Amino acid sequence: MYAYDKSPVNLAPRVVVTLILLVLAFLLLVARLWFLQIMRGDYYKQRSENNRLKTVYIPPPRGHFYDREGKILVKNRPAFNIEFVSEQSSDTDKTIRELSSITGVEAEELTKQLKNQKSRRRFEPKVLLQDVSRDLVAKVAARSTQLPGVIVNYYPARWYLHGDFASHVIGYIRQISDAELQSPKYAGYYQRGDLVGKYGLERKWEHFLQGKRGYQKVIVNVRGVRIKDLPAKEAAIPGHNITLNLDYAVQKAADDALKDQAGGVVAMNPKTGQIYAMASSPRFDPNMFTGEISKDQWQDLIAGRGRKLNNRAAQGAYPPGSVFKLLMGAAGLSEGVITPQTTVHCPGYLSFAGRRYHCHKRSGHGSVNLYSAIVQSCDVYFYVLGQRLGVDRIHDYASRFGLGAPTGIELVQENPGLIPSTKWKREHYKGTEQEKWFPGETLSVSIGQGASLATPLQMAVAISALVNGGKVMKPLLVQELSAAMGSYHDSDFPPKVLKDTEVASEHLDSVRKAAVGVVNDARGTGRRSKLPDEWGITVAGKTGTSQVVALSRKTDDKKTEHHAWFVGYAPAEDPEIVVSALIEHGGGGGKVAAPVVGEVLKAYFERRFVEPEEGTEEKQEQPVVEIEGEPQVQAEKKEDQE
Amino acid sequence: MSVRKIVGVTFDWQLLFVTLLIPSLGLGILYSAGYDPDLKIDLFSLNSIIIKSHVFLKQLLFFGAAFVAMLITMLIPTRFWHRYAYLFYFGALLLLSAVLVYGTISNGSRRWLSLGAFNLQPSELIKVCVILVMARYLSKTPPRHGLYSLTELIVPALIFLLPMLLIFVQPDLGTALSVGAIGGAMVLFMGVRKKILIAFALLAVVGVGVAWNSFLLPYQKDRIRVLFDPESDPQGKGWQITQSKIAVGSGELFGKGYLQGSQAQLEFLPERTTDFIFCVLSEEWGFSGSVFVLGLYAFLLYRMMMIVLRSKDLFSALLVVGISALIFFHMFVNIGMVIGYLPIVGLPLPMLSYGGSSLVTMLFALGVALGTTVRRNLYVS
Repeated sequence: MYAYDKSPVNLAPRVVVTLILLVLAFLLLVARLWFLQIMRGDYYKQRSENNRLKTVYIPPPRGHFYDREGKILVKNRPAFNIEFVSEQSSDTDKTIRELSSITGVEAEELTKQLKNQKSRRRFEPKVLLQDVSRDLVAKVAARSTQLPGVIVNYYPARWYLHGDFASHVIGYIRQISDAELQSPKYAGYYQRGDLVGKYGLERKWEHFLQGKRGYQKVIVNVRGVRIKDLPAKEAAIPGHNITLNLDYAVQKAADDALKDQAGGVVAMNPKTGQIYAMASSPRFDPNMFTGEISKDQWQDLIAGRGRKLNNRAAQGAYPPGSVFKLLMGAAGLSEGVITPQTTVHCPGYLSFAGRRYHCHKRSGHGSVNLYSAIVQSCDVYFYVLGQRLGVDRIHDYASRFGLGAPTGIELVQENPGLIPSTKWKREHYKGTEQEKWFPGETLSVSIGQGASLATPLQMAVAISALVNGGKVMKPLLVQELSAAMGSYHDSDFPPKVLKDTEVASEHLDSVRKAAVGVVNDARGTGRRSKLPDEWGITVAGKTGTSQVVALSRKTDDKKTEHHAWFVGYAPAEDPEIVVSALIEHGGGGGKVAAPVVGEVLKAYFERRFVEPEEGTEEKQEQPVVEIEGEPQVQAEKKEDQE
Repeated sequence: MSVRKIVGVTFDWQLLFVTLLIPSLGLGILYSAGYDPDLKIDLFSLNSIIIKSHVFLKQLLFFGAAFVAMLITMLIPTRFWHRYAYLFYFGALLLLSAVLVYGTISNGSRRWLSLGAFNLQPSELIKVCVILVMARYLSKTPPRHGLYSLTELIVPALIFLLPMLLIFVQPDLGTALSVGAIGGAMVLFMGVRKKILIAFALLAVVGVGVAWNSFLLPYQKDRIRVLFDPESDPQGKGWQITQSKIAVGSGELFGKGYLQGSQAQLEFLPERTTDFIFCVLSEEWGFSGSVFVLGLYAFLLYRMMMIVLRSKDLFSALLVVGISALIFFHMFVNIGMVIGYLPIVGLPLPMLSYGGSSLVTMLFALGVALGTTVRRNLYVS
């Protein structure tokens, strides 16, 4: 029954075949190991190093902005994101519903956010809500047991302490776009997810504000958790701090004086070119760019009636209107075609080439000289002066005062404005019947109308030249760039004369005398810019009311209103500040723009006469922990949400 | 009574040595695979032996149990297995059927019977039982004309196809295939007619096509797809095989050093204590360490073949052939899987992977093989 008899089959050859097959099988395995470990060992070694070694980048703290007195305008603050790690939650839907009930954000909205970040790994956090309030952070933290997988992450965010204060000058930052990443300006250093200046000085001085990121080589495990820091590291170098020439009080007064009217204000020191204020209205709050921006918000910013991103002080060009008459006077005197005593009779119009060119005062000013023509803004006087000069000489003098060309301010997209000439017309209308210059057009140019265009900034620069002895100064927004770590040298921005008007000072004085009359004479048009009598500071200036092209008159009521100008300066004898103001479709310059300039001048001189009240200094809303660079693993940088 | 008196002069001490050496090395590898620097298990509370690996301690206990099982089976006379082969076989089949009804579901399949204190995996049991029954049947009915004909193969095929089917529906493709491989290897060892071999080869090709189109589950198809192109989805389906190859390859000639394998220690390697334990060895000990361990398996199989060669009866010989097939198949498929030869099937590496069932089964079977060399002189005549 038990088979202990000798084997009925011969085992030896079977064992030999089996052994041969085994040897072959083992050789197969060894060959593969040889291939992987010896032949391709280097390659796999590198890949395993790539797995475990990560470079954690330490974002540099971006430079701050200060006003000329050292008042802080822009710094950094910690912002909190609510994020979700799928791996840590067994029931995503339940967690989302719970979070929705706490935050009040629709569950569908949160689910959509998750779907947008599908490509992230299960253990990588996905952003659900950006920059949430501290209240919400506290609420979420308190309910953390019901919210498996929900975490709060923080990162440094830009903080514009005074909201929309000088928003057009300072600008804003936002995540770098793909196009920017490839442009020569950013290629090399910048990485996806970096925040860069997109507008204003944030953009202009990006490379100085940015600083230099540091790094730390670390060993991470499969979930990206830091296991160990390696010796290889470099600290982040903070960006340069920028001290502006802006004066907080003056800028604030300009912002406030514009109220809800569209327009621009520039205040500058005529001797140095330092800009004390550059305001444009309507403004935007750069803090909004920290979070997500809806389509509607974008529309509101770039289009719509307000076009909030338009810096009217430097990008908006308007016919300079009667303000231009100051330059006309200087040109006439300098060219010898008039003297201060030259009189012209104003019957309310000038007949020329069979047409009547009206003065703004239909009843006429009677006999006027340069002084009374400027004080009362008589158009006929300047028609005559214009005829005597001819358009090309007008153009020449306007150019000497810096009009028709960019001022060179540190902002992008500055509008160069335009002062027409026969040459310009020939080139601009080449081949059309408009090519020829018509003498009648000279009359329009003489009173700052026609094709003439200038920005509030250009007018401030031009009037500065008029009152500083004839020097066209470069307008300066920045006083100093200072590096906290001392790795860069501080750069100063000394006053820079761009050109000399080459108009004798006696001529300039004659015009300035008239400008004093504009504000101080009983018949002057700019009386509303006066400072309180007890201060004893004389204001001078010139109003302007520039006509809006008639074409649009029928369609839009508001648009038919004239643009209101006023450019003033004080003290009249030795000007410290020149202020130009433009109100779009504001109406009469004397009525609308002069008070704005008055407010700005008041803010500038006020502190000499009024003791600042205790406690008026604005309080900071909350104590803030300064973030000097929160380390972020590169792989976990936020997606561009735009 | 001396040890020699108990086990006899023919006892294969070398096989016993390597049988104990492999799982001992396995414990060392497992300590590293389960190494947790934050863990502090104070063994014997003496503050002198600090263990930093849970799986190491558990496997140590399993090893103890498996060693006892091996000692027992080693000393059971071979005729015992011959006599009760069918009883064990049908008993195991019964358990296998029970598992389909009462089994515990984990990861979508029923593989375990919960027996209070411990879990029983009948599919492990059946591997040994199929070897017993096949050895008994084939030794009783050797090929009549030198090689097996088709009709002669019907019964042996049924012996392993029946449990294969029961395991396949659990579903557990890897174990089902291993049962088939063991049965097939034993039949082939005896010899099969060439025509049948060719026919089966053709049938296998067709079978693969049918399998692909009919009953392979989507995840099983994915595993085959990533085998050919793991980099197509390195973060998802290709993750395991990609990381496994990186771990093996990065070991280079001498490895990164014990406890120094970044792929293993930083958890890039999935299932590193079980199915991918070989990667931990390869990464930390390099080509030299991997080939050394392969050498141990080769030596083990070589000793088994020597037992076959010297065995005086066909049942014992076939028993050892079946057990060799069991070990070889698991080893080849597991290593073939981690180095990118074969698709990922959940088969443990014999005596190295963490897990009690597998270790006990392997040492149990090796005990049976060693048992055929014990006091063999007693049975002669």
